[in-house]
Amino acid sequence: MKRIALKPLSPTAKRRLIVTVLVLIGLTVAYKVLYPLAFESYVGKTNAPLTYASSTALTKTEFEALAQELSTNARQRKAAAIVDTDQEPFARQVKIEMLMNTESFIRDTEPSHIKYFREAGIHRYEGPQTCLHCHATIQVTHGDGTVKNVDTLGDIVNSVHFKFQSESGGFSTYGYDGRQVNSGPHKIPVGKINRACGIPGSFTWTGWAALVASRPEHGEGEVTMRSEGCGQCHIGGNYQPATEKMMPIGDVPSEAKEGIDCLICHSTDYDMNERHVIQDDKGLRWNQDRSLRAALTVGPISSETCLRCHQHNMGGDAYLHNEAARSLGHINQRILHRGAKRGNPFSPHDDTHAASGIQCTDCHVPEGHKIPRGRKGVDLVANDIPTKDVTCESCHTQAPHNQSEHKALLNGHIARLACETCHIKELEAENVVLRDWVHPTWDSDEGLFEPTDIYRSGKPGKGFTFLWFNGNGTFLANALGNNPNGSDTYNPLMQQVARIDDPEMIAAVRSKATELKQQYPEIDVDAYVRMATDPLSQLSPEMLAKREAMIQNNLRAVMSQGESRIYPFKLFNAMMFEDMSNQGPFGAMILPFDYASYYETGDTPASVKKAIADPIVQRMYQEPFKLYMMDEFMSYFGITEGWKTVYPLVDGRLENVEPHWMRQMGTLMVNHGIQGKGRDCIECHSPDGIMNFRQLGYSPERVAELEDIDIIENLKEQPDSAAAQ
Amino acid sequence: MTNLALSGALLLTLIAVATPAASGSPATENKSCLRCHAMATLAYRDPGTGDIVDLAVNPHALSHSVHGEIDCIDCHEGDFGRYPHPADAANETLSCVGCHEKDDTKDDTKDDTKDNIARFKSIDAEYAESVHATSDSAEAEGFSCHSCHDPHGFRASQVGEEIAAIVRDDNQVCLSCHEKVRDPLSDPHAWLPNREKHWNAVRCLDCHTPLSDNGKTVSHQVLKAEDSNRDCVNCHSRESSLLNRLYQYRSEEDLATKGWLNKAVFNDAYVVGMSRNATLDLLGLIVTGLTLLVLAAHGFGRYKAYQRTKGKPE
Repeated sequence: MKRIALKPLSPTAKRRLIVTVLVLIGLTVAYKVLYPLAFESYVGKTNAPLTYASSTALTKTEFEALAQELSTNARQRKAAAIVDTDQEPFARQVKIEMLMNTESFIRDTEPSHIKYFREAGIHRYEGPQTCLHCHATIQVTHGDGTVKNVDTLGDIVNSVHFKFQSESGGFSTYGYDGRQVNSGPHKIPVGKINRACGIPGSFTWTGWAALVASRPEHGEGEVTMRSEGCGQCHIGGNYQPATEKMMPIGDVPSEAKEGIDCLICHSTDYDMNERHVIQDDKGLRWNQDRSLRAALTVGPISSETCLRCHQHNMGGDAYLHNEAARSLGHINQRILHRGAKRGNPFSPHDDTHAASGIQCTDCHVPEGHKIPRGRKGVDLVANDIPTKDVTCESCHTQAPHNQSEHKALLNGHIARLACETCHIKELEAENVVLRDWVHPTWDSDEGLFEPTDIYRSGKPGKGFTFLWFNGNGTFLANALGNNPNGSDTYNPLMQQVARIDDPEMIAAVRSKATELKQQYPEIDVDAYVRMATDPLSQLSPEMLAKREAMIQNNLRAVMSQGESRIYPFKLFNAMMFEDMSNQGPFGAMILPFDYASYYETGDTPASVKKAIADPIVQRMYQEPFKLYMMDEFMSYFGITEGWKTVYPLVDGRLENVEPHWMRQMGTLMVNHGIQGKGRDCIECHSPDGIMNFRQLGYSPERVAELEDIDIIENLKEQPDSAAAQ
Repeated sequence: MTNLALSGALLLTLIAVATPAASGSPATENKSCLRCHAMATLAYRDPGTGDIVDLAVNPHALSHSVHGEIDCIDCHEGDFGRYPHPADAANETLSCVGCHEKDDTKDDTKDDTKDNIARFKSIDAEYAESVHATSDSAEAEGFSCHSCHDPHGFRASQVGEEIAAIVRDDNQVCLSCHEKVRDPLSDPHAWLPNREKHWNAVRCLDCHTPLSDNGKTVSHQVLKAEDSNRDCVNCHSRESSLLNRLYQYRSEEDLATKGWLNKAVFNDAYVVGMSRNATLDLLGLIVTGLTLLVLAAHGFGRYKAYQRTKGKPE
């Protein structure tokens, strides 16, 4: 029989081929259509096209009028900065006007996007799609000098700014089980350790956007709506955070990607008053400024644009020079968080780098939309570029002191001290150390119940302390490191961050507890003070023994890695409701609050019940989530027995839920608010100095040497008078 | 107690009153200096050049160095008794000769090359011929002993030390200035086969100093590139010149117990041509011969078997 090269398919083969193609199509459809639907119903969230009132179309005339105004403003500002002020006001005015209308000046000063939009005929800003019209891809220069063209939308969607978590390795965070987070094959999504927040960790799902009915006393009973929620500082405009990114498969729906707020970072004239919660038929979400005015003033990223959100975690919301706090919203004004998370502002008033015009991205050098936070860190686990350094040394040499007579001696300290140790002398007084979420206080001006800050201080030894740090941190934000002498007595998790000894602090806590007792008669002041200042007292003797063993066996090695230096760390602890079924030697799973009911009623158990009734929290207490991430999470958390799926809400009652302080204080790195002039020698080198050398693991002889006040006295003397002795 | 001893004023008195010989224990003296100078980052930037001037002394390296037994003030005789040191103290001239001068009690004409403590006379003569001394390149200006030998950390290699470590540490001294050598594009060693291996196994000095007689250590006369040794056979031969240079540091005792071959192998320093072992050669020959024999026998067997089947009908 003669063979042919191409045989017509037999009916069976044809059928098989058709079936295969159909299955593939079916799977694709299922993944693209059914999976998102199934996912939405599983987590109880919805997606819908997002619209914004500020995104309006202008007529050609309106566009030109706006362009004229923006151009004039920009030219006016720049010309006024150039023309000498020391002259007749009228003469100055004439010169400014001349300069403003010079051809090259117009070309260099007018916001560049006026021309681009005019040429492209764009008279309405519609979010990312408008930007992507020209910026579909961007060129990214990596740290090693390689240049790549990347898809802009993909780049931003996969950045921490959008999804605020990542599952890649390379973290400086270690679990209490001694394992580096996500270094093994089982990677889990992790974000940041934000214990100052009432909705910590992944619970952003439950507190993304909230409208709170406030009743300010001066308003005589009138209700004012206020905005609150994690979404105020994240660039997604959806009804929930980028939850899809927590799953091993699936992508953020395109509607959500279209909700990304490009302009909050890229526009110089962004109106923060547009940043408030809005309600539509699908639910609550954060509004944004999509006006053409904001779009036309797109310009280079600057500290000003970053600080619209980031002053919140540095100087604090209530910081005097927080610009964003001046524009809280046209309606539904944002609630200002009092009690600063770090209290180290980045502003020309309080930071020498800001004062010299240095921009955030000069140190945090971005690669596309990925912005490095440095290799060292204790509270921010997610990291877009874990391999990239952000250090003082990248600009300052290893011998940065050139001014002082003692410059060599000052430089000598760098082997042991971080720059911040001397150059951040104090934090803002608003800096909160102990915050009680369980017993809120009525704020009559705001007409809200707010968490009670039991202790605030910006002073060394009180608001922050000094710890050895090699760049590693624990899963609950404790700095790890050790004295380079190899000390085995340095044990911050049993000492510095596990108890408050300062009598002044204890007295302040006591007085605050006494004050709280008037509102909450059930408070036992002595017990309250003990729990707050000696959080280890909440552990059973067995737990305490286990804790000590875990520190020795799991963390000692991590503490001894690399080179440690002494850094300042802001201290923080909070009292929250904990799920005691999932308790370990370092703490238990903290439960979130529902913002609206918390602020409105101050009924904290009711608020917790409401928050954990959220479908996503219920999912968390089910088997798939346990296997997918919670067992691993608990192991890092120091709970060796795995995640107990005992849902703490039974028949509307909280079961096995107790209010507790975390078993140790968190330590947050402080790197901003740098002052040019550092500390005086005597601030540390004296018997009652700000540094507890003994607890830092020095031998008694060395402590005596380090505290030796005579040496310091000697430094001050003139050589002549010293010689005369 | 300690506080008092450490106070600058008292220290000054101590130094003023006591002669170096009669002063307190060396440890105490050095401790006062090391209180600051042990800081690894003690340094400042020279406003004139912008360069970082390193003032740090590694206490561990110092105590293990050739100068480990000496007090700081034995060499640094300026007015360093208090901090801040007077400005003119920085201009001190170090009086190395105080220790390193020729010993009058010894015969002036005697060859000092065997004297491990201070054979400065012959070193001086060798150095005078060195490219470091004769070069008129601007880079060689101001070249001194301290350009290579850190007086606070220098220690001569000792018999019994790991050869690889000796090579690494020694070459590091040269490479700290001769950076170009690290650049594969402009490295003058490109001709050298197995360049990386050579660098890990021998010192720069083993080729860049004149060949010396048995029993003499490496000269301080560093040769110019064109004068340096390019003859492979100098090392790769049974009478390798490496034997009395680099391999002088092999411990005799080690050699006795482990044997020549083992020591060379464990040092990762098997030198082609030098470390030839006659027994091994013979053994190799026997193994090769045996292999050939087995092959031949096998072939013969197959041939026989073939013939047998050929003769028989199917």
